[in-house]
Amino acid sequence: MLGLGLLMGFAALGEGLARLLRVPVPGPVLGLLLLWLALGLGVVRLSWLEGAADHLLGVLGLLFVPATVGFTDYLSAGAAWGLWLLVMLTGLLAGAGVTGLIAARWLKSEQQA
Amino acid sequence: MIWLALTITAFVLGLWAQTRWRSPLINPTLIATLIVALALLLSRTPYPEYTAQARPLSLLLSPAVVALAVPLYRQRALLTRQGPALIVGSLAGTLTAVGLDTWLPRMLHLSTEAQRALITAPATSGVAVVLAEYTGAPPTLAATLAVLSGLIGAVVLPPFLTFIGVRRPLARGLAMGSVAHGIGTARAREEGEQVGVASSIGMGLAALLISVLVALLSR
Repeated sequence: MLGLGLLMGFAALGEGLARLLRVPVPGPVLGLLLLWLALGLGVVRLSWLEGAADHLLGVLGLLFVPATVGFTDYLSAGAAWGLWLLVMLTGLLAGAGVTGLIAARWLKSEQQA
Repeated sequence: MIWLALTITAFVLGLWAQTRWRSPLINPTLIATLIVALALLLSRTPYPEYTAQARPLSLLLSPAVVALAVPLYRQRALLTRQGPALIVGSLAGTLTAVGLDTWLPRMLHLSTEAQRALITAPATSGVAVVLAEYTGAPPTLAATLAVLSGLIGAVVLPPFLTFIGVRRPLARGLAMGSVAHGIGTARAREEGEQVGVASSIGMGLAALLISVLVALLSR
């Protein structure tokens, strides 16, 4: 419970900071950076929230379902969906291909890999 | 309550189907989305009524994104060692995806709303909503296309990366996170902690790059 509370606290902190600084970066992403910083500085101990974090991340895929279901509001767009999906698919494959190939070439070799 | 229960049940069903058939095309988030969408349409339930009931799940999403700091911190030595490759690879891929998502809709003469909403599809939905103010896109459409893009990425990218010969865990994760954000990261974590960590980095860098790009270009 302490872990979940801390995670929510950092989420709120990120949200507040994003609003205060008026940066177009989502609050939770800023919260992630702040928590990483806090762990690095030793302000927060890993053991305090490790359990909560691993539990929450275990069901990460479930937490997105309410948002993905939102496409039902745009079903009236009809045939345009075909093109929308095609554009997104092209962007995904090309983008991931570029990242994957560059990273695969540039990464240093790891002993355990 | 019934919609919350249905969402969780549908997701568990998706998890079961995934272990049963072991196909990368079977994604629990996709299966749950299709089941819930079908139920909403058949029962003629408006989407806002559904989101109100499913709110506990959405509320947990922010702390879950923050929680990604934990695996990132655990793998910090690896990340420092591989920093340059991770940053360059991620930025190049996100730039490619945003470029195509901006240029293709114009070539295809899509509606202005769709053109604007597609620009932010490779960003997490939170970024897409905030940036809608700059791109002039309808915020809900921008968010919807962003999450769907992530969902498609989670389904097609793992087999695609294997197909083009990207096998190293960090490279695979980074590619998924850079264009398919949180949903891609949820999928990447299934391949292992290092894949998930690289994906979180990709997601974070993509969020920053897309925000900066859109903010600059819309001036």
